[in-house]
Amino acid sequence: MSESLLKIEDLVIHFETDDGTVEAVNGINMQIDKGRTLGLVGETGAGKTTTALSLLKLVASPPGVIKFGRIELDGVDVMETSEKDMEKLRGNIVSMIFQDPMTALNPVITVGDQIAEAIMIHQKVSTQEAEEKAKEMLEIVGIPGGRSGEYPHQFSGGMKQRVVIAIALSCSPKLLIADEPTTALDVTIQAQVLELMKELKIKYQMAMLLITHDLGVVAEVCDDVAIMYAGRIVEQGSLHEIFKSTKHPYTEGLFNSIPNIEDRRAELKPIRGLMSDPYNLPKGCTFCDRCDYAMAICQTEKPKRIDFSDTHFTECHLYSKDKDFKIEMCKKED
Amino acid sequence: MTEKIIEVKNLKKYFDTPKGKLHAVDGVNFSIEKGKTLGLVGESGCGKSTTGRVILRLLEATDGEIIYKGQDIRKLDANQMRELRKEMQIIFQDPFSSLDPRMTVSEIIEEPIKLNKLIANKEQRFERVLELMDLVGLSRRLMNTYPHELDGGRRQRIGIARALALNTQFIICDEPVSALDVSIQAQILNLMKDLQKKLGLTYVFITHDLSVVNHFSDDIAVMYLGKLIEKASSEELFDNPIHPYTKALLSAIPRPTVDNKVEKIILKGEITSPINPENNCRFANRCNFTEDICRQKEPQLEEVSPGHFVACHLFKK
Amino acid sequence: MSTKVDAIKADEINKTKKRSQSADVWKRLKKSKAAMIGLLIIVIFVCMAVFAPLIADYDTEVIKMNIPERLQPPSSEHFFGTNEFGRDIFYSIVYGTRISLFVGVISVGIALSIGGFLGAIAGYYGGKLDNAIMRVLDVLLAIPAILLAITIVSALGSSIINLMIAVGISNIPGFARVVRAAILSVKDQEYIEAAKAIGAKDHTIILKHVLPNSMAPIIVYATLKVATAIMATASLSFIGLGVQPPTPEWGSMLASGRQYMRDQMYIVLFPGLAIVLAVLSLNLIGDGLRDALDPKLK
Repeated sequence: MSESLLKIEDLVIHFETDDGTVEAVNGINMQIDKGRTLGLVGETGAGKTTTALSLLKLVASPPGVIKFGRIELDGVDVMETSEKDMEKLRGNIVSMIFQDPMTALNPVITVGDQIAEAIMIHQKVSTQEAEEKAKEMLEIVGIPGGRSGEYPHQFSGGMKQRVVIAIALSCSPKLLIADEPTTALDVTIQAQVLELMKELKIKYQMAMLLITHDLGVVAEVCDDVAIMYAGRIVEQGSLHEIFKSTKHPYTEGLFNSIPNIEDRRAELKPIRGLMSDPYNLPKGCTFCDRCDYAMAICQTEKPKRIDFSDTHFTECHLYSKDKDFKIEMCKKED
Repeated sequence: MTEKIIEVKNLKKYFDTPKGKLHAVDGVNFSIEKGKTLGLVGESGCGKSTTGRVILRLLEATDGEIIYKGQDIRKLDANQMRELRKEMQIIFQDPFSSLDPRMTVSEIIEEPIKLNKLIANKEQRFERVLELMDLVGLSRRLMNTYPHELDGGRRQRIGIARALALNTQFIICDEPVSALDVSIQAQILNLMKDLQKKLGLTYVFITHDLSVVNHFSDDIAVMYLGKLIEKASSEELFDNPIHPYTKALLSAIPRPTVDNKVEKIILKGEITSPINPENNCRFANRCNFTEDICRQKEPQLEEVSPGHFVACHLFKK
Repeated sequence: MSTKVDAIKADEINKTKKRSQSADVWKRLKKSKAAMIGLLIIVIFVCMAVFAPLIADYDTEVIKMNIPERLQPPSSEHFFGTNEFGRDIFYSIVYGTRISLFVGVISVGIALSIGGFLGAIAGYYGGKLDNAIMRVLDVLLAIPAILLAITIVSALGSSIINLMIAVGISNIPGFARVVRAAILSVKDQEYIEAAKAIGAKDHTIILKHVLPNSMAPIIVYATLKVATAIMATASLSFIGLGVQPPTPEWGSMLASGRQYMRDQMYIVLFPGLAIVLAVLSLNLIGDGLRDALDPKLK
């Protein structure tokens, strides 16, 4: 039985602002085991980044408030952990990389020093040892170690992201949280960086929480997938289950919105409407207004969780009576 | 209709930098038929956005001809160009920064009409603005709202309405959906396609996202470091890519499927500098098939099969 | 499609008032207690300046010497006491407000229009024009403001108008810099490019798009500069280069009252307090505006 590195139970996060309360995360459960990669998929406003930040207690508070829930990182209860102890966790057991490599690096410090800084915070080593280790890390991410004395502006976008990855991995974390790590990169560079992440995942036996809106990236790198909408996980399963036996209409909508490389004549079927106002979430299913399969009950009652296997579940009224119901996309598969 | 609405010949744009001349656009040729879409594809730094702006003379070209409806617009003076702007427009990538934050939706859409004195009567102008809002699917109720109160998709619709406000016939679309969420992207793309059919618009669709360009364009031109390295119809390019860069670009697209895993061509090395480039193939240092001639002579764009052009020493006819 | 559903009449929409952005700014400004206090103080000063003739008659109360009542401490008759010539200090301060505010605002106006114009064209057009303008202004900036003001007043003579000119000119480089920077920050935004694309001419772009969007830092800077202008006026008058007695000016009141500071402290206390309050309140408002005007674009 593999140990679970990350366990989230019933997490609820609100932002209390002057204009009202934003219900950003509305009760999610998640588990990532050692060596597994979970893709957290969703659009802007779904709550993915807020969830990720909360794992390291980085949610700005005020106005963010963790109203309920339990987060366990490598066995440690994050809620009960002091800020001082959190600092020991960050960068060490759990590392995070953000979307924009252009602004993630300090422009006035060399890349070698930035990696060394991360190492020296967590490990009792001399400056020289840290600098040596920094050069090694650069080599590991595919940058010549001799470039450790250069400044961020001397590197391209893809290389900057690699430096960011080097910093994140310098203390061999058990869990890497990557928030849209390749969105800002060109497609060929993205391919390089994803290849790198796959290699490192195996080399370090690292668990990864990959946040993205790109289902293509998910298919490349992830073992499991969780689809997030309006602060809830509406479907979760293994990569195969999500791609081959999709259950939730929103997941189907996401697949339909993507232009199909193989069939250019296929019409794009966008999801109509917009994501619900997080200041004022609807009473029933939050996806109801945009759903082609909506029924009367969807307006008034929140859907319950329905399990299809040990790993695959969804929250949708369509399956409460008939577990074998198939949405359009799955009908085609047969 | 095989009328060529626009033809670009040997277009060049160089920037002066302390280190030398930056060849942003280096001898680009293409033509587009009325009502069709040319996809201009490439990664950052390839010169596609610069090409778009140079065509509209938002940036002045260093050399070359831009022939719109038979006349070289580079020879026009400021006033003549202003007249032409009623037909040639641009949709920007960033729906946040391309709208004046101090103007309401209706003011933004009205501005081009007012400026160009197209409709003098205030009420009629107002009607036209409402018409345009309907056309792009913006609720009339949003008339007096400010851009920052709306989401990316709606903002982009404002940008599209503004571009259509005059007698627009030709639109440069500079990554119009890159900043939008996936489901909103699809909405906007469908809208743009509808408008093209309805109004007979000609688009240059600039993007780095190959899956989108496939769906949207009739022909595709691939750029690398300021040069056009391959040009063909969309179908031909995707079915039969010839240039090694095009192949790598296509294979790099992450496919949302768990079947048929495509072997990825991973390019080695980094993109070379566009400053003072030498007379060689600019892709040579990253290509897996480089030969001596690639490092010595710059390949020219040649037709290797009807309608399919490639600039590569190894794939000459 | 949406045309049927949204068949709202055009004039109906016109009636829905456009929520002005100034209303938003005011709402945000109200949140700062400090700014509100500053605003209150300034409003009191402005009222004093405007209604001065109703409060006291200039000639009898402020100018006319009244030796029998000289050096009187504050009382119900003379709220702030009288000075060495028997003039009522309170009424002097009230009339002094006129001068301070007047010079403050007008000098800033001069600096803003000239400096602002230069900064705007330097920022918008850039290149050699920018270089030329800014280097000339740099020379002006190298001269200490107070020295510059002294020089101008010495050359032209001390009067209120020359005071305004002196303080105004010394502030020109500062305004040019601020306006130039504001223009630069806005110039490269895509909506400026969009305006060019729809055929707008340069002057339209500057006036309609660039300036309105770069107003925020300029407004804040101008507010703070009125405060320093008031200080400069008082300082110049203090050293005898500004307004001459008997014309009541806070700075010159400090100068002439200096010798009585030990025993009749009120002679310098009240003018000094007036200067402090005026400057402080403007600074508080300026700070509050800086936060309130912060463009919340997203």
